[in-house]
Amino acid sequence: MILHLFFRLGIWFLLTSDFSPANIMIGMAVAFVLPKPPISFPLREWLPVFARGILMLPQAYKEAIEMMIFPHRYEGLQLEKVRPGRPDFLIFLDIFFITFTPKTVVIKYHKEGWYEVHKVKRHQLIIDGKQK
Amino acid sequence: MDEIAAFLIIITLELVGGKMREAFSYFLLISGLIFWAWGTITILEKRSVLYKLHSISVSDTLGSILIVLGLAWRGGHKLSLLILAIISLALWNTMLGYVLAYCSNEQGGKKLDG
Repeated sequence: MILHLFFRLGIWFLLTSDFSPANIMIGMAVAFVLPKPPISFPLREWLPVFARGILMLPQAYKEAIEMMIFPHRYEGLQLEKVRPGRPDFLIFLDIFFITFTPKTVVIKYHKEGWYEVHKVKRHQLIIDGKQK
Repeated sequence: MDEIAAFLIIITLELVGGKMREAFSYFLLISGLIFWAWGTITILEKRSVLYKLHSISVSDTLGSILIVLGLAWRGGHKLSLLILAIISLALWNTMLGYVLAYCSNEQGGKKLDG
């Protein structure tokens, strides 16, 4: 996997903003010397993640403007299904994307394959599973 | 429809250089401030902690990103640091928001006393 090298080099150049040969050499050296992350999964699991990451930003602003214009009186918990045994890093990204959009916040991840998501809604009341 | 398309193209060309660039930067800064103000007002309402977390993510993440984007739109030699600031804003605000949501949940944390 070469993606982590690109990630490290990207951050290095953003921090230093210097494209002199010496700086490029130092950045490459640091990116190679740092230990390799224990993440390895096939590319086909990556592609939907990338697509979701790009779509997430306009979605977040759309939800933010909706929340500002219309009153969101209802809120509640909802369980979202996810394939059990997903790699930890993809779970992290899932939780990140869900929490980034303003109307949804992940509260807890259940190992059996559920995200516990707190949502705000305009119209119908979500029945809270915990209130019995 | 053609007029609208032509208008949009002209606007885009103007945005690349000239005074429209500064105007768009101000537009981003002011909308970021509006997001901040709305989020801050919502915190003071009588709602659940989690609803306040939702509104905080509007103001503190998205509003702050708009403000930094408005600064980055002006260019300058600090552009790379501003982009880095946007990335870390998005990452850390979201992660800490999740941590707060997790801790606010009654069953989330373990009891320390036996």
